[in-house]
Amino acid sequence: MVNPVLLIIIPLTGAFAIPLFGFISKYISKYISLISTLVMAVIVGSLIPKVINNPIIVMIGGFKPPFGINLVVSPLSLFFVGVISLLGFLVSIYAIKYIDDGDIDKYHLLFLLFITGATGVVLTGDIFNLFVFFEILCISSYALVAYNRDKDGVEAGIKYLIQGSVGSAFILIGIALLYGLCGSLNMADIASQIHSVNSPLLSLSLFLFLTGFGIEAAIFPLNGWLPDAHSSAPSTISAVLSGFAIEIGLYAVLRIVCTVFGATDILHFLAGLGIFTLLIGEISAFKQDDIKRLLAYSSIGQIGLILFAFSLGSPEGVAGGLFHILSHALSKGLLFLAAGYMIYKAGSREIGKMKGLGTRMPVTSFCFLIGVFSLVGLPPFIGFPGKFIIIKSALSTNQGYFFVLVGAALLGTVIEISYFFKLLQNIFSKTGEDKVDEAPLSALIPIIIMALIILAVGVYPEIVSRFLHLASANFMDRMGYINNILGAL
Amino acid sequence: MEFIENYLYYIASFGLILIGLYIMLVKDNLIKIIIGLSIIDTGVNILIISMGYLKKGTAPIFSRESLLPSRMVDPVPQALVLTAIVIGVAILALALTLAIVLYRHYGTLNVRKIRDLKW
Repeated sequence: MVNPVLLIIIPLTGAFAIPLFGFISKYISKYISLISTLVMAVIVGSLIPKVINNPIIVMIGGFKPPFGINLVVSPLSLFFVGVISLLGFLVSIYAIKYIDDGDIDKYHLLFLLFITGATGVVLTGDIFNLFVFFEILCISSYALVAYNRDKDGVEAGIKYLIQGSVGSAFILIGIALLYGLCGSLNMADIASQIHSVNSPLLSLSLFLFLTGFGIEAAIFPLNGWLPDAHSSAPSTISAVLSGFAIEIGLYAVLRIVCTVFGATDILHFLAGLGIFTLLIGEISAFKQDDIKRLLAYSSIGQIGLILFAFSLGSPEGVAGGLFHILSHALSKGLLFLAAGYMIYKAGSREIGKMKGLGTRMPVTSFCFLIGVFSLVGLPPFIGFPGKFIIIKSALSTNQGYFFVLVGAALLGTVIEISYFFKLLQNIFSKTGEDKVDEAPLSALIPIIIMALIILAVGVYPEIVSRFLHLASANFMDRMGYINNILGAL
Repeated sequence: MEFIENYLYYIASFGLILIGLYIMLVKDNLIKIIIGLSIIDTGVNILIISMGYLKKGTAPIFSRESLLPSRMVDPVPQALVLTAIVIGVAILALALTLAIVLYRHYGTLNVRKIRDLKW
């Protein structure tokens, strides 16, 4: 069996190998990130059949839990690593031509560290290790947002950095309080004894975790950094930030709330917050003229819906949330990547300047259309089954509160359709200029692959839905998680 | 008096965290905001260290027969703080780098004047 530690080691080694290869040529770095993410994807593929029955627990250094650091390779974490490596690979193909001047090697170094951090967060079973990987993810994303070193990028980068690092300080205080109360850093060990702790500090700790991870997850009052950071970063980085970085933050929030604290009583509050985030995101997106800002606000909306799905507290809802994470990663990744060259060819980020791109860049625009249709949830694209499962499971709770929230979510979707169609109308309006001026092949390949996956999974949702139901059942099974890890003694 | 004696470290660390937060919220100068961030980090580090601190405790060396476990200081928080310090330095370095680049673009470090990106 392939050791799952390789999922973290490969991108990390790649990142540190880049400066060495940089002595030969800095153009090699492009292929290092390409190969690392591809190898990760292959490892994920080979591990899937092994984790279906039982999660794999890797004890690093041979220390048995609750001592030492352990990795938990459950279907859920493998799903996340799959999304990370797939999107990372496609974005690396795109970056071959797109990131072509400046410090290419530094870009790829940070990109691989970013992938390492994201993978580590979902794999680890240790709360401090979670924090460390989370910081790797955050610090590399601060630097990547400011990668172009232009006015906007640096301003967005410093805003993101200040908000993000206050968040990480909060997380660290939360960890300190939790360690003081439980005397352990292992998530399963803390979870097994948290209900015997009776102290007001416990709620303070939960609140601090929620705020800290909530900043990265862009939950409503904490999302001030997101539109700036996602719109000022290079398009490849916007794609990964929107595609999985905020979802990783959300994963951390839910892992802490559901597994470590077992605080199912605040899920109603989180569901309301999710819908509030959705409405704020969609309404703000409605009045944007800047295509990347519009997509960034739309990400806030989608993250709200995913939070709502997770907060339903039923395996069905979590499965819907996971499905929506996959669909959002692919659709929003596609939209940002397509927007990258559309902005380049139109010479502006303003939606009004995008007129006629439909005839000038037929393939890119067509794929963009598929991405939009999928995002708003039209069948037969991948967004439809995701939203469908979420709404169905919300209605099956038979609670008036959730019915109201579903109504608000549908209203949000209507707003979403209206602004996306305004965008499409601009792109596909005719200007008489019909000289074809398509994006380069290295950009078209990932965009087309994403469009094909969106279509394929949309037509046959069974490809992934069985695995996702397994993953969500596994995620909801708190006692199973504890026993699995502590039972490995 | 006993209360202060018992909780001195907690009061001090939360005091530092609150001072840091206050600086970050009130000050306009970016460098001062970054200093506030660094003060928060220091406060958090003291908090973690004090979690495992024992009065008159020593390092946990198990080969010393005379040393009882009740006299040992918990080494885990110290290892955590070591990591947290390194992370804090990385953030500080990156923040100052970005502040320099920002100054080159805008000619000012006043955050109220740096507002090209409105939301």
